[in-house]
Amino acid sequence: MAAKEPAPQKDYLIEPSFNAKFRSGRAQEIITEVLKTKLTGVTYHADNTSTWTREIADDIKLKLKELDVERYKFVVQVVIGEQRGEGVRMGCRCFWDPNTDSYATAEFSNGSIFCVAAAFGVYLY
Amino acid sequence: MDDLQTSEEAAFVAEDVNNIIKESIDSVLLNATYNHNKVGQWTSMVVEQSMKRLTALNKPFKYVVTCVIMQKNGAGLHTASSCFWDNATDGSRTVRWENKTMYCIATVFGLAI
Repeated sequence: MAAKEPAPQKDYLIEPSFNAKFRSGRAQEIITEVLKTKLTGVTYHADNTSTWTREIADDIKLKLKELDVERYKFVVQVVIGEQRGEGVRMGCRCFWDPNTDSYATAEFSNGSIFCVAAAFGVYLY
Repeated sequence: MDDLQTSEEAAFVAEDVNNIIKESIDSVLLNATYNHNKVGQWTSMVVEQSMKRLTALNKPFKYVVTCVIMQKNGAGLHTASSCFWDNATDGSRTVRWENKTMYCIATVFGLAI
């Protein structure tokens, strides 16, 4: 009689299976949706903008966790600035495994604020 | 039995990273005036130089480096980050830098393998 195999406790996985990968497109949809919900119709105020930035970052992180991809670490960065005609540039570089890791970004702007959010998903071997 | 890495090697050391970032920004932006045509090149240079020096540390880490350069105009800017990681081994560091015409905010996230 074949014995039932016990559930594997440690998997020495080098990469996630295709279904379990961090999907950049899906993450971008999530970010765009959060930005739209939280920032439509708001105007810049120095006191509450910092609270919004933190709330949006936490919100995006929670929604990414709900995606339920196993063994992924997330980093979410949100930048909100006042629109006054100044020039701004944001850039990033990542030292990781492009096979398993990915990122997604989204922007939002209205007359008084602009917002950029970036989410990075990094696999834990 | 294989030697497991000591906890000093495997933790993210924020002070070393601080110097690396500051020196990379200084080398690119020290006496520069905000120039819309060059700003893209500057962000790339800051980030690439930081990354080169971070990887030279030879630690078992994956890195994400971001840089925001903003012209000084009286406008306000807020940044926040939220991370889902292992607090014991992973960390981040943000460096704020400015000169007469612009602000530069560079952040490094280090994630242990």
